[in-house]
Order: sequence, then C-alpha cells, then structure tokens
Amino acid sequence: MNRALLAALENIYPADRLLTRDVELLPYESDALTAFSAKPGAVVLPVDEAEIIYTVRLCHEMAVPFVARGSGTSLSGGSLPIPEGLTIGLNRLNRIKKIDPQQRIAVVEPGVINLHITEAAQPYGLYYAPDPSSQSICTIGGNIAFNSGGAHCLKYGMTSNHVLGMKVVLADGAVTQFGSESIEGVGVGPDLVGLFVGSEGLFGIALEITVRLMPQPELYRTVLAAYDDLGRAGDAVSMVVASGLLPGAMEIMDRLAIKAAEASVNAGYPDAEALLIVELEGEAPQVNAEFEQLRRIIDASGAFESRVAKSEAERTRIWKGRKGAFSAVGRLSPDYIVQDGVVPRSRLGEALLEINALKAKYSLDVANVFHAGDGNLHPLILYDGREDGALEKAEALAGEILALCVNLGGSITGEHGIGMEKRDYLPAMFSEEEIDIMQALRLAIDPKEIANRGKMFPGGEAPALARQGMHPLERAGVISRE
Amino acid sequence: MTISAPATVDELQTLIRDSERIHVIGKGSKTALHGNVNGAATVGLSEISGIIEYQPAEYTVTVRAGTAVHDLSAALDDEGQYLPFDPLLPAAATIGGVVAANLSGSRRFRYGGVRDFILGAEVVDGAGRAFRVGGKVVKNSAGFDLSKFLVGSLGRYAIMTELTFKVFPDVPRFRSLAFHYEQLEDALSAIYFINQSPYELDALDLVPPPLMNRGKKDGCWKLLARLAGFDETLPQRVERFSAAMTGETAPIQVKPLEDSASLWDPLAGLAGACLVKVALSPKQVPRFDEMVSRSPRRYGVGGNIVWLETEDIKQLDAALKSCELTGLCLRGVVESAVIGAPLENVLAARVKQVLDPQNKLV
Repeated sequence: MNRALLAALENIYPADRLLTRDVELLPYESDALTAFSAKPGAVVLPVDEAEIIYTVRLCHEMAVPFVARGSGTSLSGGSLPIPEGLTIGLNRLNRIKKIDPQQRIAVVEPGVINLHITEAAQPYGLYYAPDPSSQSICTIGGNIAFNSGGAHCLKYGMTSNHVLGMKVVLADGAVTQFGSESIEGVGVGPDLVGLFVGSEGLFGIALEITVRLMPQPELYRTVLAAYDDLGRAGDAVSMVVASGLLPGAMEIMDRLAIKAAEASVNAGYPDAEALLIVELEGEAPQVNAEFEQLRRIIDASGAFESRVAKSEAERTRIWKGRKGAFSAVGRLSPDYIVQDGVVPRSRLGEALLEINALKAKYSLDVANVFHAGDGNLHPLILYDGREDGALEKAEALAGEILALCVNLGGSITGEHGIGMEKRDYLPAMFSEEEIDIMQALRLAIDPKEIANRGKMFPGGEAPALARQGMHPLERAGVISRE
Repeated sequence: MTISAPATVDELQTLIRDSERIHVIGKGSKTALHGNVNGAATVGLSEISGIIEYQPAEYTVTVRAGTAVHDLSAALDDEGQYLPFDPLLPAAATIGGVVAANLSGSRRFRYGGVRDFILGAEVVDGAGRAFRVGGKVVKNSAGFDLSKFLVGSLGRYAIMTELTFKVFPDVPRFRSLAFHYEQLEDALSAIYFINQSPYELDALDLVPPPLMNRGKKDGCWKLLARLAGFDETLPQRVERFSAAMTGETAPIQVKPLEDSASLWDPLAGLAGACLVKVALSPKQVPRFDEMVSRSPRRYGVGGNIVWLETEDIKQLDAALKSCELTGLCLRGVVESAVIGAPLENVLAARVKQVLDPQNKLV
C-alpha cells in the first residue's frame, strides 16, 4: 500500500475508520461473487461527503486505485477490492436526508439501504420501486453503480429509471451535480444521470442521490401456476404478453430451483417442472378486471395447478420462495455461479433447451430462475469448488451461456453488470471500436484509471484468487443473490 | 439553408469527415433549434427513415432516426402498442428529433419519459465513427449507457441514425375530467394529493386561467386528469377518483370532458411565435408562474414541465436564471435555443471531448 497515501489518510480518519490489519480487511476481500477474492491495501469508512471527496482527490493525486463499496452484494464482482488499492466503504453515509411525499421524491446518501427508502416512504403511501433480491441489505450507491433491477422491472424499469438527480465526485476529484427534483430532470441537455447510472464505479462516486418514489399499488393479485413442462410456462408468458396485459412481474423457476426454494424457505410450492408467478398491480377495479383476463389465460395455458394469493401473507410466501431461490441453491451444492444473460422473450424456450444441452455436455447441474417478462435469465451453475478444475468447468459453461444470449440477440447482463466476472465477454457484445470509445470515455473522466480499476474492460489487471463456498453473510441467510 | 440529406450511414460519415461544422435536423419542425448555426453544413436525416424491426411480442421497436413520429406511432397502434413517453409534435417531427430535444408529451405522467424507454442507438459521432450504444432488448446493463446520455443532447455529441425503444401495450379506453380551482395553490395541493394516492392517471396537466379572464369568476385553474383502462372499469374508477378529489381537494367545479388527442396535446393552445419548454418541479411552479403570468402556458406531467409562449425571450431568460431553470426554445427566432441557467457540466464536457474532439457538431 502506498505509504504516503496512508499517512495522508491517517490525518483525517481515526484508527477505527482506517482499516489496515489483515483481520480487519478480511470482510472486504470479496463480494457476492464468492469465487473471487483479493486483499485491499486498506479500507476507509468515511462518514460524510467531504471525507469521500478528500479521499478520492488523494487517490487521484497519488495514482492509487480505489473501489467504492456498499454492502458488497455485487454478483459480478463489482465491489471486489483492487489488490493493494483502497476500498472506500460507504455504509456509514446512510442518512435519508429528505422525503418529500408531495413531489414523490427522496434525497439519500449512497450508503442508504434500498429497502430503508421504502420503509421511510411507506407512511406516505409511497415506495421505492427497484427491488433487487438483496434489497434488505444492498445500498443505493451500489444499485446506481450497477443499475440494479429486480423482479418488478418490466413495468417501471431499473434503478436508472428511478434516479432523478445526483451529486457526484468524479474519479479525478471534480465534484458536479446533475438532474433535478423534477421527474423531467433538467429537461434539456444530455442525460447525465442516465450516463452515470450503471457506470460500474468507473466514473466516480455518487455522494447524494435524488430518487423518485411511486405510489403503493392499491391492490396486488398474485398467481402461481404450475406446469409439467418448462416450455409451457414460457408459452404462458407469451400468451399474457399477447393479451395486452402489463403485469408488474412475471417470474419462472424450474424444477431444481423449486426444490431448492422448498428446502430452504418451505414456500409450499407444488411439485412441478416449472412454476410461473404473475403479479398484477394497480387500482383495484382495473386489477380485478385484468385478473379475470389473466385467469382465463392461465387456465388455457395448460397449468396443472394454479393458486391465487388470498392475503398479503400468502403473497409474501409466494415471493419468499422466489426471492430466496438463489441462496437456497446453496443448500444443494457447495458452490454455484449465477448468470444474468438476457434473450428476446420469444426466444426463452430456445435458450432453455440450449442450456439443457450444455448441462449435459458439461455434466453440471443448472437451476433456472428468471425474470420471464423481460427475458432476463438467471441460470445457477452448480459445482463443487473442492474438486480440481470444477470452477473452471463451471466458468466455461457460464461463458457458453453468455455467448448463447448474445447469439439470440440479447445481452450478457440484464442487471448485475459486467464487473470483474464478465469483463472478458464484453467483446461478445461490442466491437473493438465501441470498446475503444468506452475506454476513451473512461480515460477522459479518469486519466489514471483509478476508479474500480480492472472491472468492465477486458484484460484488466485486478488478479483474483479462486475460492469456494458461500459468502459468510449469505450462509447466515442475511443476503441473497439475484 | 441548404440541407444535405444523406441516404445512408456511410454517406453521413463521409459528410461529417468532410465538413468543419455540422448541424443536424430531422425535418426541421423545431425551428428555434436551427437558428444560429452560421457556417455549419446542415444535415437532414429525413432520408434515413423507416422501421427496421418491430417485434410486438418483445415490446421493442428499432427504427431509423429520420422516421416520422406519425408513421412510427401508427405502426405501433396497429398492434395495440404505443410509446409511453408520448412523443410531441407527432404531425411533423422525426423520432430522432424527439429524442435529441427530449420531448415527451402529457402521457409521460403514467410510465416515464424518453429516457425511460430508449434502449439503444446507432450513432455517428463528430469524428465520423459509426457505432452502437446500449442494447436491443428490454433489459441490458452492459457497458456505459450512452443511449440515455443522448436524450436531450441536441445532436451536439453524436448523430443518432437508428433507435431502439421499449414499447408497451396501450389501454383501450380513456376518460378525462377537469377539476377547477380558484388559486394555483389549491390546484397544486390537488396534484400533491394525487401524487400520494393510488389513483393511476394516464395524464395530469394544469391549465392556467385564460389571460383575458384573470381576476374574473371564470378565471380559474383547470386541472385536467385522464384515466385509462378497460371500458367496464372506467365508470367506477372515474366515480371513485372524482369523489376522492371532491372530498380532499375542494374543487369549485368538476367537469367531465370529451377525451380527444387535442385535449391532451399540451401545445394545442400555444400557437405563438416563440415556444419554450421548461422542466421544473411542482414546488417551483408558484415562484416561476408569478414571473410568467402574462405568457400563455400549460403545465404538463403533474407540474413537472411547463410549455409557454413568450414575446420577450430576454425576460424569460432572466426569469429562468433567477429560478435556476433551463429552457429549450422549440419555435421562434432566437440567438440560442437553450436559455436560462447554462448547461455546462464537467462530465458532459469530457464526453464531448471523446465523441466530438474537433467540436464539429453544433
């Protein structure tokens, strides 16, 4: 670790907020992409934006790479430390500075936990819409870096669609603001909020964020349908779309994922090859009418059983199995890799057949959980990291799935980002020239490449060590992956 | 003004490489944007038009930038779908122009604006490079999201040649209502009530009293609300909503209106020479409105946008600056289309440096 930097950091951080001893650094060595880890040179825990700005400026001056980190729930290794670099832990910037229910906005610091915004907005009949499965622990700063999604993105979009304004420190120490409290932003001029969200921490750190809140739907109608064939569940999704309905969420789980969810949270799911969850939300009279339409579609779709949540408790139970499915898979296998590819919705069936063929080719199990409404697949590749070469085999299978998604006209990532994990696959989606332009953009903002170095772009330096097992917090059931 | 109209992306690239300064237009419907570009070669995109790929089942459409909004909307309508950001100037505008000037209409209230529905784009930048930004599927988070960046960028960073949007199924039926209030404050309180209520409106605009009637009894503020949904549910929804509004916001009058496209065209009553769009937050409305009380105007999208006519652009510029707001002139002869608080930003400048290092695009 750069000694001059440490000395300068000691000037403003007390010892309990400047961590340098091995035992203190251990919790920061990896994120939710547990196959990788690296030891940071030091970790600082700023408590206000002035400390963040000071720290970033020091890093820039001394050319020391840094990664900003919230709760470390990134599934693409986005918050993996840079070896010998600085990790800036933002969890202590966790103030909700303002809730303005009349204008439906909240102003928050980057370390605020996603679900806490909803909790603060609830008394006003409002909520914060993006709902990654880790929402009880992940921070808004991380959501911004990776443009996080969730099960309810089809109708109201991802994080980017819910951020109205922000104040940021760029990687070279420049501080700037963009957007506004209007849902129309500044109204004219390039959409800088849109550019910053999803930049994977490569542009800088969000210091203060204005998010839009949504009115809580008056009514949810949640249907769980069971199929004896995965393809039939996929066809049901197409039928719903063709009918003109716009559900808040459409999710599919396959047999292995169902089994895992059952073992873990005992959601009471039927024994089936595939489960489809469809949720309608909105004004009661409209939702009830849509629900009649949905029921006819589900009945005609060949489901051998369908259940309607009759209470909020039943709805919660249906979702608990789905949202806990990822960590539940940890019960079936010592290790697994989560993928996040996207395919055009109409090619879901094709993609699933191909994934089945790949399963056989690699003799590995794959559990499938996906946001069927937007074609976002989350295959979970099961392996045992204790076996020689198992991780490499799983990664090779993951790579084939990503190639498949691109070939079908989709994307290598819907909501987890490129991060460390998929950086070598970026060229599958973008041409050399396109990557060069993105790289030039990064250099124009961060000439020393210090912000989250080694992520997103292929061939980055950040070395990573293979390891095995779930994240300790995940094992304890505190976080889950999606 | 001579307009070169390249027919292909290749021709556009050549034009950019061979020119010192380039100004891009769609069909030129937003005249104020094309005023002060002296010496720049004007490139029109009307020849780069047509729908490339429309897959209703995917909720996506890919279209060339010079396509008329009218044609695109008609194609979507044939499949019962629409662009939820509700592009403005459907009669004359190109879809590229709508994105470059960031012009969403009243229906933006329900699901979001241009930025929320753009998925990707093909562009040619100031260096003449043609490349893709964003993706073509409804969900994608690979790479920097330059497609959102282009929304509102006025053709000054890169010229869009192809755009991919997310589209939604449209609802079959509408009902519109007007709630009348004596004071602006009362009308804004009604907006705040709606904002915290579960009533899902398709659109919500606020129309100030007609200028000649100010101070008179019929000089009230009209809050226009539109509900969309199934025929069989609308009567009940309208009744519930009206009852709640009457109970909670005390309008002096509630009037059912005949729903029509022109009722929900925020520019329909604004025929003056100089037309300006301003984004603001509802709480900024009272102060700003006092300064523009002599301009014909309409507040759109729940008080988040104001469309206004002005005869005195200098005075409006000063008013905007004092409220730290920025305006975009769409029509009229102006020195600069962007007025009020300046747009300069360090992040935008860095992007400009990469995409248009020679400052060709004006």
